[in-house]
Amino acid sequence: MRMNEFKKVDEKVVKELRQITSDASVIYEDKETLKNYSHDEAGGDYYAHMPDVVVKVENADQISKILKFANAQHIPVTPRGAGSGLAGANVPLYGGIVLSVEKMNRIIEIDKNNLVAVVEPGVVTNDLCKKVADAGLYYAGYPMSVETSFIGGNVATNAGGSKVIKYGNTGHHVIGLEVVMSDGQIVEFGGKRRKDSSGYDFIHLFVGSEGTLGVFSKIYLNLIPLPGKTVDLLAPFKDIETAISNVGRLMIESKTLPSAIEFIDGISVKLGSIYNNIKLPFQDEAGAYLLIQYEGRKKEEIEDLYEIGGKALMSGGAMDVFVADNRTNSEKLWRIRRNWLEGIKAFDPYAPTGDVVVPTDKIPQIMQYISEISVEYKVQIPVAGHAADGNVHPAPMKPKKINPLEWKDISEEILDKIALKAASLGGAISGEHGVGFIKKDLLKKTKPDQYVFMKKVKDIFDPTGIMNPGKLY
Amino acid sequence: MKICVLIKQVPATDKVKIDEKTGTMVRSEMEAELNPLDMYAVEEAVRIKERLKDAHITVITMGPPSASDAIKDAISIGCDDGYLLTDRRFAGADTWATAYTLSAAIKKIGGFDLVLCGERATDGETGQVGPSVGSQMGIPVLTYVSEIVELTDKYVRVKRAIEGGHEIVEVDLPALISVVKEINDPRIPNLSGKLKAKSAQVKNFDAISIEADQSKIGLGGSPTRVVKVFYPKLTRSGQILRSKDPQSAAKALLNFLKSKEII
Amino acid sequence: MPGVWTLAEFREGVINSVSYELLAWGRSLADTLNVELSSVVLGYEIKDVETLFDHGADTVYKVDDKRIEHFLPDSYSNILFSLVKKYDPQIIIASATTYGRTIMPILSTKLNTGLTADCTKLEIGEDGTLLQTRPAIGGNVMATIRTQTRPQMATVRPRSKKPISYDKSQRKVIVPEIEDELFKSAYRWIKFERDESTDLPIQEADVVIAGGRGMKDEKNFEMLYELAKKLNGVVGASRTAVDMGWIPYSHQVGLSGKTVSPHLYMAFGISGAIQHIAGMSSSDIVIAVNTDPDAPIFNVADFGIIGDATEIIRELLKALGDENE
Repeated sequence: MRMNEFKKVDEKVVKELRQITSDASVIYEDKETLKNYSHDEAGGDYYAHMPDVVVKVENADQISKILKFANAQHIPVTPRGAGSGLAGANVPLYGGIVLSVEKMNRIIEIDKNNLVAVVEPGVVTNDLCKKVADAGLYYAGYPMSVETSFIGGNVATNAGGSKVIKYGNTGHHVIGLEVVMSDGQIVEFGGKRRKDSSGYDFIHLFVGSEGTLGVFSKIYLNLIPLPGKTVDLLAPFKDIETAISNVGRLMIESKTLPSAIEFIDGISVKLGSIYNNIKLPFQDEAGAYLLIQYEGRKKEEIEDLYEIGGKALMSGGAMDVFVADNRTNSEKLWRIRRNWLEGIKAFDPYAPTGDVVVPTDKIPQIMQYISEISVEYKVQIPVAGHAADGNVHPAPMKPKKINPLEWKDISEEILDKIALKAASLGGAISGEHGVGFIKKDLLKKTKPDQYVFMKKVKDIFDPTGIMNPGKLY
Repeated sequence: MKICVLIKQVPATDKVKIDEKTGTMVRSEMEAELNPLDMYAVEEAVRIKERLKDAHITVITMGPPSASDAIKDAISIGCDDGYLLTDRRFAGADTWATAYTLSAAIKKIGGFDLVLCGERATDGETGQVGPSVGSQMGIPVLTYVSEIVELTDKYVRVKRAIEGGHEIVEVDLPALISVVKEINDPRIPNLSGKLKAKSAQVKNFDAISIEADQSKIGLGGSPTRVVKVFYPKLTRSGQILRSKDPQSAAKALLNFLKSKEII
Repeated sequence: MPGVWTLAEFREGVINSVSYELLAWGRSLADTLNVELSSVVLGYEIKDVETLFDHGADTVYKVDDKRIEHFLPDSYSNILFSLVKKYDPQIIIASATTYGRTIMPILSTKLNTGLTADCTKLEIGEDGTLLQTRPAIGGNVMATIRTQTRPQMATVRPRSKKPISYDKSQRKVIVPEIEDELFKSAYRWIKFERDESTDLPIQEADVVIAGGRGMKDEKNFEMLYELAKKLNGVVGASRTAVDMGWIPYSHQVGLSGKTVSPHLYMAFGISGAIQHIAGMSSSDIVIAVNTDPDAPIFNVADFGIIGDATEIIRELLKALGDENE
């Protein structure tokens, strides 16, 4: 609706952008390069849209000037991180300016006294994890796509990952944000302080806002001491139900808190096994696996945890429990889980990834529903997920005879049904990937009351509607 | 059949700190693990044992007291017992002195039909200790073994992965075999294996108990000396050109390749 | 004055080209010491001995016998041992091939002397001893090593030096008397199976030509194969290229693929994500071609060109073709 009102990017706009930044920072008319900024990892050309111009910003001041200019000219601005998202949140639906933070990749400070890291949004989260580990510290917001994703994107989507059961998702670790508002004003929310009961908690309004309210230029992150040692347990189960029934049971029975309880079904393991060239034990017999990680400070502590946890899993019906307490074995166990999506995409590049969350005790129901849908549509749906927090990722695979365009509609229908079911079970249509534009109808459907207030908030922060238009709403 | 597996504990990190004055690794507080390439030798020994039923696997390593963890890792997937050669006098050994020390222990325990080891350790990366132990013991050495084709109580026939193909060779036992990654896919220990290893007793040997010639062990017995250790530059200050046109860019590339003696 | 020896490799009817690289190292050592450089070659029906002279050897010790047609570690080491005892070289170097890495430790143990593995640099120190420099711990650290015993022995990483041409050779072939006893072997050589596929695993290649998103499509990867063929290398790829289905997973370089440390790594259209760089940063020489001047791959490149990878590789292939004509 507002689409027609947006001003087209022309030479004059580009000249202004070059003046604010530099010639080298602006990509214009280079179709090949611009294309890289037209999509995220959601895949499929039908989810892509070309930007008119890409600006690689270097600091808050540049962002501020660009937003002020774009606001005045009424040009849409789509902030972009590493492009590893799965909901299309960084696709410039109305063209305009893509504001890439890839050059803002400085770790400004690792404050060992306050246990806080101050970073720019373009820092690769994996780099941050390594850097703070060198200082004996730990950033616990580990998203699974850690090799590529930026911290800015993690905050903008409130990314989850595998360690949410113990540490919470990205939002739990953000204690401050410097945000450039749509009119160019630079405002700091929070900071190095850990507590603040003076006024509204704006930080957690911005967390998960997907670039619709403002652009982060600085992020303050909570750090904790590095646990030092980890052990991973792999437990194969004869079927999905038995595996899932062990998730809550493990924690209650053994009174241990794993940092991760990951679920992966038998089909996924078989596909992943071929892709990664790794064979997991019981691969031909098991219907599902749980992958559990414990952290500890000392070897003895780790030994104690895997013994108690392992015994609980055995009594819960695990076919066996395998213990990986060194890098090589640990990598072997995690590789299939981490490359889960790549493993599926190797067989079907058209497989989209769902991302729904339910209360943990409802996992069997959502899994049951997914298998019903799989039968109904005659489509194979491998599933993996963060079992401990009820977050599952179904990935329906395109049957050979269906053409890709038809498949877009069918797969969306399948994922929408699963998402609506999750919401009806007390869950949500997105666990950790965000809404973007792919799920915005579902958002409206499942959170009708909140939606009204969200919209009002949006209008306060971005009255002209230039901030990532077409997303969430 | 009596099988011996030689293993090593190595730093479990790629970021190794070096004392540039002494040229030695700063081992304090460093995480350690069983050399990943030794896991293939351990696995192969366990597979032999599973095939032959009547086999006994002894693991031997030289290192600080904490290296007993590496032995326990081997026991957790099916090895029977282990010896740790630990003595301050062993410290600073190069590959020659290490091979001498290990072979002295092997002789002391005695009666092995087969000695297995990994291709090399991921820290020193020499690959010399295995063949050198075989040479010390005066038994045939089979390196780069990618498959044990046949094993009886008399002889072993193996496939060696060498440049351009595979060579099949046979020797009578006893023999020393160093294995490459292709030979198997090492298993991950299960809970019962880990618990068994936890309670296993690792036997300690020192320089006296293996009856070593004191002049052939440790730094003193090592014919080589590290004279300098340095970090290679990690970021390269390379020359970056902006291509005017593909032809001249290709020309510049060609000249660079020539300057580096590649073509 | 005791000389410098290189162990030449003769197998399957040819002298392996690494033997010439070794002579290049040997030549620089022998010249510094002002001593003779000899190459030792063992085998059966040995051909092309004169090429060893052309590449730096003053003399060649040749042991040509049916009984050592194939590599038998005990016979080979016994024969070499007897030659060392008789002629007393001060330095022996071999290539770090499966042959060199097997025979050298066995021989050095017999000789009670030190051995340094996989050197990338050899030079003579001020006191006339051999300084052996080698990478360790995944290339994180370089160590320079000296041997206190004699002879000084080292294996040298293949492709660490280019062969030279030499025209001052005495061209003398020495055929030593070898006792029959030394030919006796405990090894029963059965056969050699040549690999049908000529694909070298990328981790073992000395030259890796890698392509990424900037190669634009599958068809352009053919140019990478062509270049790899010309430089005796193999083709690698970034995760993106693999994900796009342009090349199988076995070619993927990086944390989620293979780690390589070739002598030469050429990255065409690879931006150099951290995970990719982790898999190739220990390469000796890195060349990068990418359109993006800010691509992180340039930080680890010895030589970089900002430009279109597909166009530049096309011109490079043309230029290489012209050179050969």
